[in-house]
Amino acid sequence: MDPLEVEFLAEKETVKIIPNFSLDKIYLIGGDLGPFNPGLPVDVPVWLALNLKQRQKCRIVPPEWMEVEKLEEIPFSMGLTKLLLTHASDNIPKADEIRTLVKDIWDTRIAKLRLSADSFIREQEAHAKLDNLTLMEINTIRTFLLDSLNCMYKLRSNLQQGSSKGQFSNY
Amino acid sequence: MSDALSDCGSDASHDGGQEDVMTPAELIEKLEEAWLNEKFSPELLSNRSEVVECVMEQLTHMEANLQRVKKGDAKASIHRMEIDRIRFVLSSYLRSRLQKIERFFPHVLEKEKSRGEGEPSLLSPEEFAFAKEYHANTETYLKAVALKRMPPNLQTVELLKAVPEPCLDSFVFLRVKEPQENILVEPETDDQREYVVDLEEGSQHLMRYRTISPLVSSGAVQLI
Repeated sequence: MDPLEVEFLAEKETVKIIPNFSLDKIYLIGGDLGPFNPGLPVDVPVWLALNLKQRQKCRIVPPEWMEVEKLEEIPFSMGLTKLLLTHASDNIPKADEIRTLVKDIWDTRIAKLRLSADSFIREQEAHAKLDNLTLMEINTIRTFLLDSLNCMYKLRSNLQQGSSKGQFSNY
Repeated sequence: MSDALSDCGSDASHDGGQEDVMTPAELIEKLEEAWLNEKFSPELLSNRSEVVECVMEQLTHMEANLQRVKKGDAKASIHRMEIDRIRFVLSSYLRSRLQKIERFFPHVLEKEKSRGEGEPSLLSPEEFAFAKEYHANTETYLKAVALKRMPPNLQTVELLKAVPEPCLDSFVFLRVKEPQENILVEPETDDQREYVVDLEEGSQHLMRYRTISPLVSSGAVQLI
Protein backbone atom coordinates (compact mmCIF):
# COMPACT_ATOMS: atom_id res chain seq x y z
CA MET A 1 0.00 0.00 0.00
CA ASP A 2 1.21 3.46 -0.81
CA PRO A 3 2.29 5.43 2.30
CA LEU A 4 -0.08 8.13 1.12
CA GLU A 5 -2.91 5.66 1.48
CA VAL A 6 -1.90 5.04 5.08
CA GLU A 7 -2.13 8.77 5.55
CA PHE A 8 -5.48 8.76 3.80
CA LEU A 9 -6.74 6.26 6.39
CA ALA A 10 -5.29 8.29 9.25
CA GLU A 11 -7.23 11.28 7.97
CA LYS A 12 -10.45 9.49 8.93
CA GLU A 13 -9.64 9.79 12.64
CA THR A 14 -11.29 12.65 14.50
CA VAL A 15 -9.60 15.59 16.11
CA LYS A 16 -10.87 18.59 18.06
CA ILE A 17 -10.71 22.00 16.44
CA ILE A 18 -11.58 25.51 17.54
CA PRO A 19 -13.11 27.25 14.54
CA ASN A 20 -13.09 31.00 13.97
CA PHE A 21 -16.22 31.01 11.82
CA SER A 22 -19.80 29.91 12.23
CA LEU A 23 -21.62 27.36 10.12
CA ASP A 24 -24.77 25.28 10.63
CA LYS A 25 -24.71 21.56 11.13
CA ILE A 26 -23.54 19.83 7.98
CA TYR A 27 -24.89 16.44 6.87
CA LEU A 28 -22.10 14.48 5.23
CA ILE A 29 -22.56 10.99 3.80
CA GLY A 30 -20.25 9.69 6.49
CA GLY A 31 -22.12 11.39 9.35
CA ASP A 32 -23.14 14.78 10.71
CA LEU A 33 -20.68 17.51 11.65
CA GLY A 34 -20.99 20.74 13.55
CA PRO A 35 -22.56 23.16 14.17
CA PHE A 36 -19.48 25.39 14.08
CA ASN A 37 -19.29 28.45 16.34
CA PRO A 38 -16.28 30.72 16.78
CA GLY A 39 -14.29 29.72 19.83
CA LEU A 40 -16.28 26.57 20.60
CA PRO A 41 -14.39 23.27 20.26
CA VAL A 42 -15.93 20.72 17.87
CA ASP A 43 -14.90 17.24 16.66
CA VAL A 44 -14.18 16.82 12.96
CA PRO A 45 -12.32 14.28 10.81
CA VAL A 46 -8.65 15.08 10.32
CA TRP A 47 -9.00 15.69 6.57
CA LEU A 48 -11.40 18.54 7.26
CA ALA A 49 -9.38 19.86 10.19
CA LEU A 50 -6.27 20.11 8.01
CA ASN A 51 -8.18 21.80 5.20
CA LEU A 52 -9.67 24.39 7.54
CA LYS A 53 -6.30 24.90 9.17
CA GLN A 54 -4.65 25.53 5.82
CA ARG A 55 -7.29 28.13 5.06
CA GLN A 56 -6.68 29.62 8.52
CA LYS A 57 -10.20 28.91 9.63
CA CYS A 58 -9.41 27.00 12.78
CA ARG A 59 -6.90 26.04 15.43
CA ILE A 60 -6.32 22.33 15.99
CA VAL A 61 -6.38 21.03 19.57
CA PRO A 62 -3.63 18.39 19.79
CA PRO A 63 -4.84 15.05 21.18
CA GLU A 64 -4.13 14.51 24.88
CA TRP A 65 -1.53 11.84 24.26
CA MET A 66 0.54 14.15 22.07
CA GLU A 67 2.76 15.30 24.90
CA VAL A 68 6.38 14.55 25.52
CA GLU A 69 5.72 12.62 28.76
CA LYS A 70 2.86 10.56 27.40
CA LEU A 71 4.37 9.60 24.04
CA GLU A 72 7.03 7.60 25.83
CA GLU A 73 4.50 5.32 27.47
CA ILE A 74 1.55 4.63 25.23
CA PRO A 75 1.24 3.44 21.66
CA PHE A 76 0.02 6.20 19.37
CA SER A 77 -1.10 6.74 15.84
CA MET A 78 1.96 7.44 13.76
CA GLY A 79 -0.08 8.58 10.79
CA LEU A 80 -2.02 11.16 12.74
CA THR A 81 1.06 12.41 14.57
CA LYS A 82 2.89 12.94 11.31
CA LEU A 83 -0.04 14.72 9.70
CA LEU A 84 -0.48 17.08 12.61
CA LEU A 85 3.23 17.77 12.96
CA THR A 86 3.49 18.55 9.26
CA HIS A 87 0.43 20.71 8.85
CA ALA A 88 -0.36 22.13 12.25
CA SER A 89 2.91 22.28 14.17
CA ASP A 90 2.13 25.85 15.35
CA ASN A 91 -0.83 24.48 17.32
CA ILE A 92 1.23 21.84 19.12
CA PRO A 93 3.21 22.86 22.18
CA LYS A 94 6.84 21.70 22.02
CA ALA A 95 6.36 20.44 18.46
CA ASP A 96 10.09 20.15 17.80
CA GLU A 97 10.69 18.11 20.89
CA ILE A 98 7.79 15.84 19.96
CA ARG A 99 9.09 15.48 16.43
CA THR A 100 12.49 14.29 17.64
CA LEU A 101 10.94 11.98 20.20
CA VAL A 102 8.57 10.44 17.69
CA LYS A 103 11.42 9.87 15.27
CA ASP A 104 13.46 8.15 18.00
CA ILE A 105 10.56 5.94 19.01
CA TRP A 106 9.93 5.09 15.37
CA ASP A 107 13.57 4.13 14.76
CA THR A 108 13.66 1.91 17.84
CA ARG A 109 10.42 0.18 16.94
CA ILE A 110 11.36 -0.39 13.30
CA ALA A 111 14.70 -1.83 14.39
CA LYS A 112 12.89 -4.25 16.69
CA LEU A 113 10.44 -5.07 13.96
CA ARG A 114 13.28 -5.94 11.57
CA LEU A 115 14.74 -8.30 14.15
CA SER A 116 11.39 -10.00 14.68
CA ALA A 117 10.84 -10.29 10.95
CA ASP A 118 14.25 -11.87 10.60
CA SER A 119 13.56 -14.47 13.29
CA PHE A 120 10.08 -15.13 11.89
CA ILE A 121 11.60 -16.10 8.55
CA ARG A 122 14.53 -17.93 10.08
CA GLU A 123 12.34 -20.09 12.33
CA GLN A 124 9.90 -20.77 9.50
CA GLU A 125 7.03 -19.68 11.67
CA ALA A 126 3.51 -19.88 10.28
CA HIS A 127 1.77 -17.49 12.64
CA ALA A 128 2.58 -14.32 14.55
CA LYS A 129 0.46 -12.13 16.78
CA LEU A 130 1.21 -8.45 16.35
CA ASP A 131 -1.27 -6.49 18.40
CA ASN A 132 1.02 -3.57 19.04
CA LEU A 133 1.95 -2.82 15.48
CA THR A 134 0.46 0.27 13.89
CA LEU A 135 -0.72 0.31 10.32
CA MET A 136 2.22 2.43 9.27
CA GLU A 137 4.66 -0.02 10.81
CA ILE A 138 2.97 -2.94 9.11
CA ASN A 139 3.06 -1.07 5.85
CA THR A 140 6.75 -0.30 6.21
CA ILE A 141 7.69 -3.94 6.54
CA ARG A 142 4.93 -5.44 4.37
CA THR A 143 6.47 -5.73 0.92
CA PHE A 144 9.85 -6.85 2.16
CA LEU A 145 8.53 -9.42 4.63
CA LEU A 146 5.77 -10.90 2.47
CA ASP A 147 7.96 -11.16 -0.62
CA SER A 148 10.70 -12.87 1.37
CA LEU A 149 8.21 -15.32 2.87
CA ASN A 150 6.80 -16.11 -0.56
CA CYS A 151 10.25 -16.55 -1.97
CA MET A 152 11.31 -18.91 0.80
CA TYR A 153 8.08 -20.80 0.43
CA LYS A 154 8.62 -21.28 -3.29
CA LEU A 155 12.17 -22.50 -2.81
CA ARG A 156 11.15 -24.95 -0.12
CA SER A 157 8.14 -26.33 -1.93
CA ASN A 158 10.32 -26.93 -4.96
CA LEU A 159 12.69 -28.91 -2.77
CA GLN A 160 9.95 -30.93 -1.12
CA GLN A 161 7.83 -32.01 -4.05
CA GLY A 162 10.23 -31.60 -6.91
CA SER A 163 7.49 -29.84 -8.78
CA SER A 164 5.65 -26.64 -8.29
CA LYS A 165 2.46 -25.31 -9.67
CA GLY A 166 2.79 -21.93 -11.24
CA GLN A 167 1.57 -19.52 -8.62
CA PHE A 168 1.77 -15.82 -8.54
CA SER A 169 3.80 -14.56 -5.65
CA ASN A 170 2.70 -11.01 -5.21
CA TYR A 171 -0.77 -9.71 -4.65
CA MET B 1 -29.41 13.96 2.36
CA SER B 2 -28.65 11.77 5.30
CA ASP B 3 -31.76 9.61 5.42
CA ALA B 4 -31.17 5.93 5.88
CA LEU B 5 -30.99 3.93 2.69
CA SER B 6 -34.11 1.92 3.10
CA ASP B 7 -34.10 0.69 -0.51
CA CYS B 8 -30.41 -0.05 -0.60
CA GLY B 9 -30.22 -1.54 2.85
CA SER B 10 -32.37 -4.50 1.88
CA ASP B 11 -29.97 -5.31 -0.99
CA ALA B 12 -26.99 -5.23 1.25
CA SER B 13 -28.41 -7.33 4.03
CA HIS B 14 -27.82 -10.62 2.22
CA ASP B 15 -24.14 -10.67 3.04
CA GLY B 16 -24.83 -12.43 6.28
CA GLY B 17 -25.82 -9.45 8.40
CA GLN B 18 -29.18 -9.02 10.03
CA GLU B 19 -29.29 -5.28 9.48
CA ASP B 20 -32.27 -4.29 7.42
CA VAL B 21 -31.34 -0.66 7.11
CA MET B 22 -27.80 0.54 6.67
CA THR B 23 -26.96 4.16 7.31
CA PRO B 24 -24.83 5.91 4.68
CA ALA B 25 -21.97 6.01 7.19
CA GLU B 26 -22.12 2.22 7.60
CA LEU B 27 -22.24 1.86 3.85
CA ILE B 28 -19.04 3.84 3.42
CA GLU B 29 -17.44 1.70 6.11
CA LYS B 30 -18.44 -1.45 4.19
CA LEU B 31 -16.86 -0.02 1.06
CA GLU B 32 -13.63 0.73 2.88
CA GLU B 33 -13.53 -2.77 4.34
CA ALA B 34 -14.08 -4.30 0.91
CA TRP B 35 -11.38 -2.02 -0.51
CA LEU B 36 -8.70 -3.07 1.99
CA ASN B 37 -9.64 -6.75 1.79
CA GLU B 38 -9.41 -6.67 -1.99
CA LYS B 39 -6.13 -4.78 -1.88
CA PHE B 40 -4.43 -7.32 0.35
CA SER B 41 -5.95 -10.67 -0.55
CA PRO B 42 -3.96 -12.66 -3.09
CA GLU B 43 -7.09 -13.87 -4.91
CA LEU B 44 -10.11 -12.07 -6.32
CA LEU B 45 -12.87 -11.86 -3.70
CA SER B 46 -16.61 -12.05 -4.36
CA ASN B 47 -18.02 -8.92 -5.88
CA ARG B 48 -19.81 -6.41 -3.66
CA SER B 49 -21.84 -4.74 -6.37
CA GLU B 50 -24.66 -4.04 -3.91
CA VAL B 51 -22.29 -1.82 -1.91
CA VAL B 52 -20.80 -0.25 -5.03
CA GLU B 53 -24.23 0.57 -6.45
CA CYS B 54 -25.48 2.10 -3.22
CA VAL B 55 -22.35 4.24 -2.90
CA MET B 56 -22.73 5.38 -6.51
CA GLU B 57 -26.33 6.28 -5.78
CA GLN B 58 -25.31 8.31 -2.74
CA LEU B 59 -22.65 10.14 -4.72
CA THR B 60 -24.94 10.95 -7.65
CA HIS B 61 -27.60 12.13 -5.26
CA MET B 62 -25.19 14.35 -3.37
CA GLU B 63 -23.69 15.74 -6.58
CA ALA B 64 -27.14 16.55 -7.92
CA ASN B 65 -27.87 18.47 -4.73
CA LEU B 66 -24.61 20.35 -4.99
CA GLN B 67 -25.45 21.46 -8.53
CA ARG B 68 -28.13 23.65 -7.06
CA VAL B 69 -25.87 25.34 -4.54
CA LYS B 70 -24.23 28.68 -5.29
CA LYS B 71 -20.48 28.74 -6.04
CA GLY B 72 -18.26 29.47 -3.07
CA ASP B 73 -20.64 28.04 -0.49
CA ALA B 74 -18.65 26.85 2.53
CA LYS B 75 -20.75 23.74 3.05
CA ALA B 76 -20.59 22.72 -0.58
CA SER B 77 -16.81 22.69 -0.59
CA ILE B 78 -16.80 20.36 2.43
CA HIS B 79 -19.30 18.08 0.70
CA ARG B 80 -17.13 18.05 -2.44
CA MET B 81 -14.08 17.06 -0.42
CA GLU B 82 -15.98 14.18 1.09
CA ILE B 83 -17.24 13.08 -2.32
CA ASP B 84 -13.68 13.12 -3.67
CA ARG B 85 -12.50 10.94 -0.82
CA ILE B 86 -15.27 8.41 -1.35
CA ARG B 87 -14.69 8.39 -5.11
CA PHE B 88 -11.02 7.69 -4.52
CA VAL B 89 -11.80 4.61 -2.41
CA LEU B 90 -14.40 3.43 -4.90
CA SER B 91 -12.14 3.69 -7.94
CA SER B 92 -9.18 2.23 -6.11
CA TYR B 93 -11.38 -0.73 -5.12
CA LEU B 94 -12.69 -1.31 -8.64
CA ARG B 95 -9.24 -0.85 -10.15
CA SER B 96 -7.64 -3.41 -7.88
CA ARG B 97 -10.34 -5.90 -8.92
CA LEU B 98 -9.69 -5.24 -12.60
CA GLN B 99 -5.96 -5.73 -12.07
CA LYS B 100 -6.61 -9.11 -10.49
CA ILE B 101 -8.97 -10.07 -13.30
CA GLU B 102 -6.27 -9.22 -15.85
CA ARG B 103 -3.70 -11.18 -13.92
CA PHE B 104 -5.78 -14.30 -13.27
CA PHE B 105 -8.43 -14.19 -15.99
CA PRO B 106 -8.49 -17.90 -17.00
CA HIS B 107 -8.84 -18.96 -13.36
CA VAL B 108 -11.41 -16.32 -12.58
CA LEU B 109 -13.53 -17.39 -15.55
CA GLU B 110 -13.08 -21.06 -14.67
CA LYS B 111 -14.22 -20.44 -11.10
CA GLU B 112 -17.19 -18.47 -12.35
CA LYS B 113 -18.13 -21.30 -14.73
CA SER B 114 -18.00 -23.99 -12.05
CA ARG B 115 -20.01 -21.93 -9.58
CA GLY B 116 -23.09 -23.72 -8.31
CA GLU B 117 -26.63 -22.45 -8.57
CA GLY B 118 -27.36 -19.91 -5.85
CA GLU B 119 -23.73 -19.30 -4.91
CA PRO B 120 -22.83 -15.61 -4.96
CA SER B 121 -21.00 -14.74 -8.15
CA LEU B 122 -17.38 -13.72 -8.12
CA LEU B 123 -17.75 -11.06 -10.79
CA SER B 124 -20.23 -8.30 -11.36
CA PRO B 125 -21.92 -8.42 -14.81
CA GLU B 126 -19.58 -5.67 -16.05
CA GLU B 127 -16.51 -7.42 -14.68
CA PHE B 128 -17.66 -10.67 -16.28
CA ALA B 129 -17.94 -8.96 -19.68
CA PHE B 130 -14.49 -7.45 -19.15
CA ALA B 131 -12.95 -10.81 -18.22
CA LYS B 132 -14.45 -12.54 -21.26
CA GLU B 133 -13.27 -9.82 -23.59
CA TYR B 134 -9.81 -9.83 -22.05
CA HIS B 135 -9.66 -13.59 -22.52
CA ALA B 136 -10.73 -13.36 -26.17
CA ASN B 137 -8.31 -10.54 -26.89
CA THR B 138 -5.38 -12.36 -25.31
CA GLU B 139 -6.11 -15.44 -27.39
CA THR B 140 -6.40 -13.45 -30.59
CA TYR B 141 -3.21 -11.62 -29.83
CA LEU B 142 -1.20 -14.75 -29.08
CA LYS B 143 -2.52 -16.31 -32.27
CA ALA B 144 -1.66 -13.28 -34.39
CA VAL B 145 1.87 -12.72 -33.15
CA ALA B 146 3.11 -16.23 -32.62
CA LEU B 147 0.89 -19.27 -32.66
CA LYS B 148 -0.15 -19.22 -36.30
CA ARG B 149 3.49 -19.43 -37.30
CA MET B 150 4.06 -22.52 -35.16
CA PRO B 151 3.88 -26.08 -36.46
CA PRO B 152 0.21 -27.23 -36.47
CA ASN B 153 0.60 -29.47 -33.40
CA LEU B 154 1.86 -26.55 -31.31
CA GLN B 155 -0.76 -24.04 -32.24
CA THR B 156 -2.91 -24.31 -29.17
CA VAL B 157 -2.04 -22.86 -25.81
CA GLU B 158 -3.97 -23.67 -22.70
CA LEU B 159 -4.33 -20.39 -20.88
CA LEU B 160 -5.52 -22.14 -17.73
CA LYS B 161 -2.12 -23.78 -17.49
CA ALA B 162 -0.10 -20.93 -18.91
CA VAL B 163 -1.32 -18.21 -16.58
CA PRO B 164 -0.15 -18.50 -12.95
CA GLU B 165 -2.75 -19.10 -10.25
CA PRO B 166 -3.12 -16.76 -7.28
CA CYS B 167 -0.82 -17.89 -4.50
CA LEU B 168 -3.13 -18.71 -1.60
CA ASP B 169 -0.16 -19.60 0.57
CA SER B 170 0.88 -15.96 0.70
CA PHE B 171 1.02 -14.41 4.13
CA VAL B 172 -1.39 -11.62 5.02
CA PHE B 173 -1.80 -9.19 7.91
CA LEU B 174 -5.22 -9.19 9.51
CA ARG B 175 -7.28 -7.74 12.35
CA VAL B 176 -9.96 -9.84 14.05
CA LYS B 177 -13.50 -8.47 14.12
CA GLU B 178 -15.35 -11.51 15.44
CA PRO B 179 -13.49 -13.84 17.82
CA GLN B 180 -12.57 -17.26 16.42
CA GLU B 181 -11.38 -20.37 18.19
CA ASN B 182 -9.13 -23.19 17.11
CA ILE B 183 -7.83 -21.90 13.83
CA LEU B 184 -5.45 -24.51 12.50
CA VAL B 185 -2.00 -23.25 11.60
CA GLU B 186 -0.23 -25.64 9.28
CA PRO B 187 3.53 -25.58 9.20
CA GLU B 188 5.39 -25.61 5.95
CA THR B 189 7.81 -28.37 6.64
CA ASP B 190 7.13 -31.87 7.88
CA ASP B 191 9.41 -31.64 10.88
CA GLN B 192 7.17 -29.01 12.52
CA ARG B 193 3.88 -29.76 14.25
CA GLU B 194 0.63 -28.14 13.31
CA TYR B 195 -1.12 -26.24 16.06
CA VAL B 196 -4.21 -24.16 16.70
CA VAL B 197 -4.57 -20.53 17.68
CA ASP B 198 -7.50 -18.52 19.01
CA LEU B 199 -8.16 -15.19 17.37
CA GLU B 200 -9.36 -12.65 19.92
CA GLU B 201 -11.43 -9.71 18.87
CA GLY B 202 -9.28 -6.71 18.00
CA SER B 203 -6.04 -8.67 17.86
CA GLN B 204 -3.73 -8.52 14.83
CA HIS B 205 -2.02 -11.44 13.17
CA LEU B 206 0.33 -12.45 10.40
CA MET B 207 -0.55 -15.80 8.84
CA ARG B 208 -1.20 -17.60 5.56
CA TYR B 209 -4.15 -16.43 3.55
CA ARG B 210 -5.32 -19.99 2.88
CA THR B 211 -5.94 -20.61 6.59
CA ILE B 212 -8.27 -17.69 7.03
CA SER B 213 -9.77 -17.05 3.59
CA PRO B 214 -13.29 -18.13 4.65
CA LEU B 215 -13.10 -15.64 7.53
CA VAL B 216 -12.31 -12.83 5.11
CA SER B 217 -15.37 -13.67 3.02
CA SER B 218 -17.62 -13.87 6.09
CA GLY B 219 -16.29 -10.56 7.41
CA ALA B 220 -14.97 -12.07 10.66
CA VAL B 221 -11.49 -10.74 9.95
CA GLN B 222 -10.26 -7.65 8.14
CA LEU B 223 -7.08 -7.67 6.07
CA ILE B 224 -4.77 -4.77 6.90
